[in-house]
Amino acid sequence: MVHDVFTFLVGGKAGEGVKKAGSVAAHIFSSMGRYIFQMDDYMSLIRGGHNFSVVSTSPRWITSQYMKADLVVNFDKRSCDTHINDIANGGIIIFNSDEQESVDGIGVPLSSEAEKYPMKKLMYGVGAVAILSSTIGLSKDQMNQNIKNQYPRGIEDNIKFADTIYDMVKFSCQNKYPLERGEKERPIITGNDAISLGAIAGGLDAYYGYPMTPASSILHFLAKQAKNFGLAVVHAESELAVINMAIGSAFTGARSMVGTSGGGFALMTEGISLAGITETPILCVLSMRPGPATGVPTYTEQADLNFALSAGHGDFLRIVASPGTVEEAYYLTAELLDLVWKFQTPGILLTEKHLSESSMTINLNINDTKWAEPKMHNGGSYKRYKDTEDGISPMLFPPSKEIIKWNSYEHDEIGITTENADMIVKMHNKRDKKLRKLIEHLKTQDTVNIIRGGHPTNIFTYGSTYMSVLEALKHGDSNPTIVQPIYLSPLPIWELKEFKNQDNVVIEQSITGQFASLLSEKAGLNIRSVIKRYDGRPFDPIELSIKIKEELE
Amino acid sequence: MENLKTNAEITWCPGCGNFGIFTALRNAIPKLESKGINRKDIVITAGIGCHAKIFDYLNLSGLYGLHGRNSSNAEGIKIANPNLKVITFSGDGNGLGEGLAHTLFAAKRNQDITMILHNNSVYALTTGQYSPLTEKGWKGPSTPGGSFETPFNAISLMLEVGATFVARSFAGDISHLTEIFVQAIEHKGFSFVEVLQPAVPYHSWSEYREKVEFLEKEPETYEEAVKIAKNRHKYILGVFYKNERPVYHKGLYGDHNPLTNRLSQSDRIKKIKSFLFG
Repeated sequence: MVHDVFTFLVGGKAGEGVKKAGSVAAHIFSSMGRYIFQMDDYMSLIRGGHNFSVVSTSPRWITSQYMKADLVVNFDKRSCDTHINDIANGGIIIFNSDEQESVDGIGVPLSSEAEKYPMKKLMYGVGAVAILSSTIGLSKDQMNQNIKNQYPRGIEDNIKFADTIYDMVKFSCQNKYPLERGEKERPIITGNDAISLGAIAGGLDAYYGYPMTPASSILHFLAKQAKNFGLAVVHAESELAVINMAIGSAFTGARSMVGTSGGGFALMTEGISLAGITETPILCVLSMRPGPATGVPTYTEQADLNFALSAGHGDFLRIVASPGTVEEAYYLTAELLDLVWKFQTPGILLTEKHLSESSMTINLNINDTKWAEPKMHNGGSYKRYKDTEDGISPMLFPPSKEIIKWNSYEHDEIGITTENADMIVKMHNKRDKKLRKLIEHLKTQDTVNIIRGGHPTNIFTYGSTYMSVLEALKHGDSNPTIVQPIYLSPLPIWELKEFKNQDNVVIEQSITGQFASLLSEKAGLNIRSVIKRYDGRPFDPIELSIKIKEELE
Repeated sequence: MENLKTNAEITWCPGCGNFGIFTALRNAIPKLESKGINRKDIVITAGIGCHAKIFDYLNLSGLYGLHGRNSSNAEGIKIANPNLKVITFSGDGNGLGEGLAHTLFAAKRNQDITMILHNNSVYALTTGQYSPLTEKGWKGPSTPGGSFETPFNAISLMLEVGATFVARSFAGDISHLTEIFVQAIEHKGFSFVEVLQPAVPYHSWSEYREKVEFLEKEPETYEEAVKIAKNRHKYILGVFYKNERPVYHKGLYGDHNPLTNRLSQSDRIKKIKSFLFG
């Protein structure tokens, strides 16, 4: 075990309940009052291939999976071959002895045992839970209770099967890693769950999406919760329809959000630009996966930062922010929904597969969220694009006796098309004023997370890589200051000034170092070096801690 | 009718077929009001092209969107607040070229909106290129040798994908056009009106006047409507098809209205707590 962390890794083919076994493990740990971090690594296919789920747990807050596991359970030979070197010192590897020659580990005849039941391969996950239960010292009763709660289908068979497997590994595994209990049970949610719940808390009324990993689970979550929260949730024919429908909904006053990944976002950019000139409050979740083009659909990267910062043709205000943790995703989504309504402009919540689809135990202050409220027109004749001191025109929604015209052409204050030179300048200036007001507003709130350390070098990171960095710094004693800008546009340079003439190292998941370039161009920071990873996988905390140590020595 | 006009300068060519559509729409609104439809509830969207200039001229609230995306805007408006009556204006290039998928899907879903397709069979504002409805042989600047694609048949296309009200009218017959608009806007479900209208630099009124004729009687069945739409010429005017089937927003959330019945902040927080903590 690495210090206070226990890691369970389960691998097999898609369709064998790998991810479910990971989730059940996570629930077992959290029911013991412990914190968890679960990462699912899966291929872009429905059946077969190789998937694995890795769950790390600790009595303290934990922000990353560990790739060296204390208990590895493999359902097939491919998994075993893949993970044979992913065992921590003193760890246990279990292989399916029906599927392969013996290796240096513990063979369990998973296939032949599962064959005895009608659900066959679907039971492998239950077997993995049985092995885990034995290893961490749960009694059969405790195990059976968990299985009953988590696998509602075929309870009797599942318990019988689990008992058999539990007994089979008793000799080699029983109570090998007894886990300390934590203080209380906490809910487990994914980043996409947090984004969805944050949006609801902030006032979401309508969500539009088109299936695209890793954003799809927002669409699924909200579709499932639509009735409960009174939302309109629509799977439209394309991302073009998605963004334009959402803009239509915003016209009525409905707080609207869309979600996608890079390729879908490319289609949405015309709508982002439309939102710019029509001054439509719209929030877009952009969850990054490795690109370009189709790239690697089910893996992670941070290479769409530049694209998000300049999305949509023309000059207009774009708000871009990226949450560092699952909890921050909850608050930030509500906050961005509020900001886009306050400033009537598009906002982008930039995240990655690693945050979207990983699960964490959370400590949330549910009430502590912003509520999206626009500046409203109060009586008198109405002009949609009234020029005001801060550039923000009061809003009004149909039905109204007043005429409300939103226009994609350059327009006058009423919203009628114009080609008049003075009016073009006036409207550009009006929209431009909103940036100053926004910066003034952002100066009153948290826009950067800074954890002060004692080392002369600072580490800059953003998005889910922040979680990897936090966990890496649990190892070693270099103790640098960590700086994580939440807002990327406008970049809070007022908070970053103090780091200007200091020694800075950036950690990000992009081959060209887009975040490092942003920091040096916009904030004038000297970046000595960039620790990059761009193989689609998130950093492993131990590997990253070694790299950080090398940079800081 | 005058108060349905804004002060915007009208920049259609003199004699443009769009004037007929503009007039008929302004005739239709008071008739709809007398049938109990509130003018405040009427919202319009438009794409980009000569058709869309009507957005600036009509004194009605709405969203002037992007080329081809006007029906998506209209769908989004209706979904968020189903109390609104939504009319979307489209050109033939706008709605059947760039925006084809959105037009077809709005009909497939039977969104409770009205689409008015200004069919001038040409990309007028961009100087006369062939459109999805242009007949073969059109020599525009992008097809100097004459276009050789077979045009769509707008009426049979909309029948095929599920529009529940399908009609064709003519910008040169204001009273027929007014009557069709009233029926289409009153209809519950996706109503589609193809309006034949010359863009005068490219087609003359006489080309149309020679060819237009009225349906002898409304087809009684879907099959009959399709047969007439496919087999007879494209200048037949009248209501081809009228039917009722469940509208999209009712399927999505029944009698709910996401906007007027939105949950308060405190109710949302309560529900989130119970979702997370049981």
